[in-house]
Amino acid sequence: MAAAALEGKDGSNVVILHQLKRGKLTPCISPFALKLETYLRIAGIAYQNDFDEPMGPKGKTPWITLNGKKVGDSQLCLELLSETFHKDLSHHLSIEDKAVARAFQIMAEDHLYWVMLVWRWIYNGGSSLPLIQTDLHFAVRYLRPIVVSRVKSQVSAQGMGHHSQSEVMEMGLKDLRAISNFLGTKSFLMGDQPIEVDCAMFGILAQILWNSLGCPYEPHFTAGELINLKGYCERMKRTFWPDWNQCLIPPLVR
Amino acid sequence: MASQSKRAWQSKHCLLRHFCPCKSAGMLEQAIESLTAIWKNERGLIVASAGVAASLYFLASKIYAVREKSQLRKKWNSAPKDVVILHQLPRGKFTPSISPFPLKLETYLRMAGIRYENDFTEPKSLENKTPWITLNGEDVADSQICLELLADKFQKDFSCHLSPEEKATARAFQIMAEDHFYWTGVLWRWVYTKGKTLRQIHATFAPPLSLKIPLVCRRMKSQAIGQGLGRHAEKDVIEMGIKDLRAMSHYLGNKSYFMGEEPTELDCAMFGMLAQLVWNMPGSPFERLLNSELPNLKRFCERMKDRFWSDWDQCLLPVPL
Repeated sequence: MAAAALEGKDGSNVVILHQLKRGKLTPCISPFALKLETYLRIAGIAYQNDFDEPMGPKGKTPWITLNGKKVGDSQLCLELLSETFHKDLSHHLSIEDKAVARAFQIMAEDHLYWVMLVWRWIYNGGSSLPLIQTDLHFAVRYLRPIVVSRVKSQVSAQGMGHHSQSEVMEMGLKDLRAISNFLGTKSFLMGDQPIEVDCAMFGILAQILWNSLGCPYEPHFTAGELINLKGYCERMKRTFWPDWNQCLIPPLVR
Repeated sequence: MASQSKRAWQSKHCLLRHFCPCKSAGMLEQAIESLTAIWKNERGLIVASAGVAASLYFLASKIYAVREKSQLRKKWNSAPKDVVILHQLPRGKFTPSISPFPLKLETYLRMAGIRYENDFTEPKSLENKTPWITLNGEDVADSQICLELLADKFQKDFSCHLSPEEKATARAFQIMAEDHFYWTGVLWRWVYTKGKTLRQIHATFAPPLSLKIPLVCRRMKSQAIGQGLGRHAEKDVIEMGIKDLRAMSHYLGNKSYFMGEEPTELDCAMFGMLAQLVWNMPGSPFERLLNSELPNLKRFCERMKDRFWSDWDQCLLPVPL
């Protein structure tokens, strides 16, 4: 899909979101793709999906093409989109609240994310992938041991790979408890309106809630201390993904 | 061929006589001739002897190292009951530690009033982590796991007065500092400045030991790429670090400590990280930021230093005059 051919003829901003193919249980099996697409929907920014070239600059996914310009990394994409389309969902927050929002986003994306990654690819050996995605990426389908090895090496570099399984899962549970305690009975993380951090939080939590079959956190979500996080994810899904079932592969008919 | 080698030999010895014009040059020439003859005749024996000597030296140094470790182990295990042995890198020139995690842990020990002794001979644990502790004969690595174990053992909880929401916020900020901002610091120290500041802040990295800096730089770069931040452009990484620091500063505001007027465990982690910017990153954009836009973070560091490190100067190496 040639990005240049998709630039609007009248010069309007065209966003192409490049990501992995749809999942069976969530529209994206990557937390960052789900974050970015949810943001586009909350911000009301028109976009088109491209599932043919999911890997972009810096070897990461998702990435966007904006008026022919390629941008990688979901957070850099989000900030560029926010600036280009003049969307600031957090403008009503105090600088202290914005600081808190940033801290929670980083906890989700730079700590809890690694717990999810370790569980999916190392403790589970990637065996849950066929259960959550029909059209697996070439590397996952035929080169899974290489992907697992690469993830192990990344996890070791990041530091979490040096901990035992029980320590890692305990760290993840502490993060989830913190998010749950901070969310409390609020509709969204920072109040009654969703902001950028909710997109990031939803991206990660949706993977743990729906794409981590057999994960030890399941009982905590369904009937335990994290039940408000399940309610939060359902709320985000209901509000910003009314076509959720149609975005799955195969589509879910209810 | 023989005349060529003879001319080369004569040329070499002309140079020798030029640099050593006294009669000892003649003795030296004779010695060189004798050694050359011995090398030609006994080459095999010399190489074999050198190999045996090197092997014996290697074996002896290994045995010595094992014996040393065994003696250290006896010393740590015989420490008084409930006295923590804190294993860490040797002291820095401007801060007691040039790594945020040992500084965090040692500050916590002081804050909690837990007796401890330092060990600078074995800074790396068996899992190659630093810092680590030995407590009543048991080894524990990772600063956070150590801190939580000590809190449980000695019944210390500096966050008991916080609400669940505040404790959650404290955790989020600690992770932002230690799992995100930390990597921007690593990239600045080891990749963008190629480890050049190490010689300024730590005596261990003075020549000739500074030869190992490039090896460390390569390892840290590889780790940062694996973690993810290392794949970004330098300007993007610095901007991410600046955003983290602004968030810390805005949250701290006018408070004495991050969660109020009394320090908590979070402050130990924040101090460990921010002290590196104040004292150990000369010329960095982060240092400039703390000196200009975010002075409350610098004042926080001074406050923690004054409260828990009254012997700060005596904990530097070399000790300031």
